[in-house]
Amino acid sequence: MSLIFSYKLWPSPRPVTPLRGRWVRPRPVVSVTLVGPKASRVQPALLDTGADDCVFPESVAAQIGIDLTSAPVGNATGVGAGPIAVRYAQVALRLTDGREFREWQGWAGFTAARLTVSLLGFAGCLQFFGAFFHGDREEVELTVNSLYPGT
Amino acid sequence: MKSSDTRFPQIPWLDAQHFENRRNFPSEELSKYEGRHIAWSWDGAQILASGKSQEAVEEELKALGVDPSRVVFDYVFPGDASVIGPLEES
Repeated sequence: MSLIFSYKLWPSPRPVTPLRGRWVRPRPVVSVTLVGPKASRVQPALLDTGADDCVFPESVAAQIGIDLTSAPVGNATGVGAGPIAVRYAQVALRLTDGREFREWQGWAGFTAARLTVSLLGFAGCLQFFGAFFHGDREEVELTVNSLYPGT
Repeated sequence: MKSSDTRFPQIPWLDAQHFENRRNFPSEELSKYEGRHIAWSWDGAQILASGKSQEAVEEELKALGVDPSRVVFDYVFPGDASVIGPLEES
């Protein structure tokens, strides 16, 4: 069974030219739960096949009780952005569409850079799923693959 | 898997009603929060707090006596810009 998420529709104040004048922007943003030793948080995250890592705000690590003091560090770059520092930790992640439930342990990067939404990229998330972005239905379908380490 | 197959039974899962309520939330009401971080109630029917950053939302929730583990954080994208990355303007 797959997780199926409808794209979120954000109203636009003007017709969106590359979408033939529609008044909304559809985006594959989902709610992902991070579970740490102290607490959990449900974060908005963009399913992003172009992202190498999962990236979350550093403040969330502290809130759920993940100590990043001696965490492995790395750099990340994005479109139009210079390198930002990330610190990596393993965290329990949950996704559900209300019908199917998935929970696994994966590596996540945490950054002090200000993010609008978090990223669910390859390492820690999409490596464990087949991902099909149904542009016509504006749905994304995730199916666990043979690497999936969770329940 | 079933929702009961979890290492963290004390943490509830979001349910189908949450997603349904968010889908039905009036878009004109949501647009009042453009460019802001928000916190949805666990059932997805209400916005409990908003702020310029998620940290500000977290503080507001604590002031209201709401457990930040029992809300769903979100961000309302401004309607007038296409999104090509998640970094906020500083």
